[in-house]
Amino acid sequence: MTALMDMLTIFTHPELLLLVGLGTFAGVYVGAIPGLSVTMAVSILISFTFSWDVLPAISLMIGIYMGGVYGGSRTAILLNIPGAPSAIATAMDGYPMAKRGEAGTAIGVTTVMSFFGGFIGIGVLALAAPLVSDFALKFQPRDYMLLAVLGILLVGSLSSGSLVKGIFSGALGIGIGAVGMDPLTFTERFTFDIPLLTQGISFIAVMIGMFGVSEALLQLHHIDLPAVRQKIDRIVPSFSTIKKHLPLSIQTSSIGVIIGALPGTGGDIAALMAYDHAKRVTKNPEREFGDGAIEGLVAPETANNAAVGGAFIPMMTLGIPGDAVTAIMIGALYIHGLNPGPMLMIDQPHMFWFIVGALITANFFMLLFGLTGIKLFTKIVEIPRAFLIPLIMLLSIVGAYAVNNSITDVYWMLGFGVFGYFMRHYGYPLGPVILGVILSRLLDDNWRRAIISEREDLGRFFGGLFSSPLSTVLFVAVVLIFVSQTPLWTKGKEMIFGRSNRSAS
Amino acid sequence: MKRFAFGAVSALVLSATGVLAADYPAKEIQGIIQWGAGGSTDTVMRSVTPHAEDVLGGTVVMQNMTGGVGAIALNYVATQSTDGYTLLMGAENPLLYKVMGLGKKDYTDFTPINLLARGTPILVASPDAPFDDYAGMMAYIKEHPGEVRFGATGPGGLPSVVTAMIETVEGELDVISVPYDGDGPALTALQGGAIDVMPAVLGAAIEGIRAGNMKPLALFDVAANEKLPEAPAVTTFNETYNDFLPWGPFFGVFVAKGTPDEVVEKLSAAYAEAATNEDFIQLMDNRGFTMMNISGAEAEDFLSTWQQNTTWLLQDAGLTKSSPEEFGIARPGE
Repeated sequence: MTALMDMLTIFTHPELLLLVGLGTFAGVYVGAIPGLSVTMAVSILISFTFSWDVLPAISLMIGIYMGGVYGGSRTAILLNIPGAPSAIATAMDGYPMAKRGEAGTAIGVTTVMSFFGGFIGIGVLALAAPLVSDFALKFQPRDYMLLAVLGILLVGSLSSGSLVKGIFSGALGIGIGAVGMDPLTFTERFTFDIPLLTQGISFIAVMIGMFGVSEALLQLHHIDLPAVRQKIDRIVPSFSTIKKHLPLSIQTSSIGVIIGALPGTGGDIAALMAYDHAKRVTKNPEREFGDGAIEGLVAPETANNAAVGGAFIPMMTLGIPGDAVTAIMIGALYIHGLNPGPMLMIDQPHMFWFIVGALITANFFMLLFGLTGIKLFTKIVEIPRAFLIPLIMLLSIVGAYAVNNSITDVYWMLGFGVFGYFMRHYGYPLGPVILGVILSRLLDDNWRRAIISEREDLGRFFGGLFSSPLSTVLFVAVVLIFVSQTPLWTKGKEMIFGRSNRSAS
Repeated sequence: MKRFAFGAVSALVLSATGVLAADYPAKEIQGIIQWGAGGSTDTVMRSVTPHAEDVLGGTVVMQNMTGGVGAIALNYVATQSTDGYTLLMGAENPLLYKVMGLGKKDYTDFTPINLLARGTPILVASPDAPFDDYAGMMAYIKEHPGEVRFGATGPGGLPSVVTAMIETVEGELDVISVPYDGDGPALTALQGGAIDVMPAVLGAAIEGIRAGNMKPLALFDVAANEKLPEAPAVTTFNETYNDFLPWGPFFGVFVAKGTPDEVVEKLSAAYAEAATNEDFIQLMDNRGFTMMNISGAEAEDFLSTWQQNTTWLLQDAGLTKSSPEEFGIARPGE
């Protein structure tokens, strides 16, 4: 009962309600601008809200977080530039929809699905936080490594067309991610004694360049074509659409919560894994994936918003951040005189319920701000290309600069933009490059940790794989998914089910 | 003519800085934080600086500039003009840059404004570890060589220094050293059982210890800490540790060498007063940090002693890239 009262604190204080709303509104736009990240916004807020009380400060941060994770989908759909890494998968089917004049529908589905995913995440946080955090702690370096391998296998579903080109792109991404000073031993890798390279290559700069600039360059080919007229008759998806995708969205939300709750992974990986899952389980999509499939929007958007609630799980129960944003929030709680840690939930349960309440409120505000103003937004796609292309370039440059206030990042971004243009021109998919960069560190660090922990003995490493049920399940999943992408699988299927199955599939 | 013009301009610049020093701060001051948002350095700097702003009557705009173990921020501040409008807010790491081959500059190129506080290292173990204190751990390592997994954060990090200290005092340890990105991820791994022992800073481990999610083995200090009286000081197990302790990471505010004395004085006075603020002291106490609040010659002495002790400890443990001797850092006691 007191829990309920604490959850409702926010409604009894109009100023808190206002701050959550304000935060969510700001978050949607911060999230939509590539380069401006939620992490950055929340860290700026730390000094801004320093003299405030803890509740208003947290309210504002939660609003920005929730809104920002959602906002990344906007530019992904309208301009093919993901506003945040967690919206990369959204661009893959959202942008084709916009090109077809269905940007309004895409944004509508995205908004409702983000809202749904957000709720699943919050629900799990409220009802099963201790359980999930115990589970998340069980992940050993070995398991993170297997998770990364599982992620790498997504290359198959992210590359339409040639798998070989997809593998090349993925490997390139892993290589880009490895450049710079190795964070575990401070050894320089792929730096060729160039001081500039010791810092590594900014992942956001690569992302903005590959998606934004290459898109602008590609658009130059069609400069004379008239812009696509946007249909805006139906924005809020019909109930039957929602019902149809309910099973999928529950599955992808669960993926989101778990990946979000793992201390080493966040919404970006959750969204990509969910996209892959959707591609696997959806038998007959109305449109092919990569061509504007609704499922391709439902999956990443439910997952990345479910990951928000997920990220709070280890933070609230153990004082361990679930991602970069919750890491900063832990710092904020310290500054405001709280001691985030395993005792927080016992000493100050009202804080936990207050955060749950604020998240719920932010989720509603997100729905509200998401569904209003869509008509205005879809107009962006209708802008004549002569204006749109410079706009994309401007947004890309500002975004790349804003990440680290570094002009070097802008050069990287432009370089990768031109490179990305040629890759697209020759049919190399860009998704796997970004996937590779995201997973590079996760794979590399955890493989080293895992093998070092086993005294650098491969025999012991494989022994360990089967000593823990979690590792065994992950390992089997990796093997199955890998085999299912090879001709061996189809052959095996034929052997077992007979040839008749071939025509059915 | 050229030379004359150059002289005139530099004279102008000199007199200009003189004027600036008198009504310092005349514009916004930039505070460059070496570490990311939400980390210890960030928390300390963001909580003390507003109080210093009140004393100064100016604004300090803080910005996190991460990368290269803090070297990016340090090199950035070193290249700004020495007018006192760019502060470096950092931790202990730069004192190890030279021997670790991470950079050519360190705090000797800076003037300390205030060394605010220091942390105390503590050795913690996973709750499932088959030992309960420091002596038990040492005995277990001897009986089971190559089995205990120690967390590490790369050469020069706190765990590497503490491990070097243990090896100097007790002799070679036959353990596995598993590298992590920082003490946060390593302590998470400890609670999940991926590693057995982790040398960490008290503030990062204290909540986990209170909740019973990790066991304190020994506090690396000469006496027990009042925040955690049940953790015994390591000197009670082996007195040789007295030669190296107290030792710990610290947080400080710096300006580049060459900043006008008046400006240094003003800043030092502001931070010295800010560090006595009750809220700030309370926060530092909660996080298990020991207040220092020193500046001037006292701070310079602290820095050079710290650098001597630590670099030579790492040198003797074979962890450095180049000897401290090359940079004129004398062996302690010489």
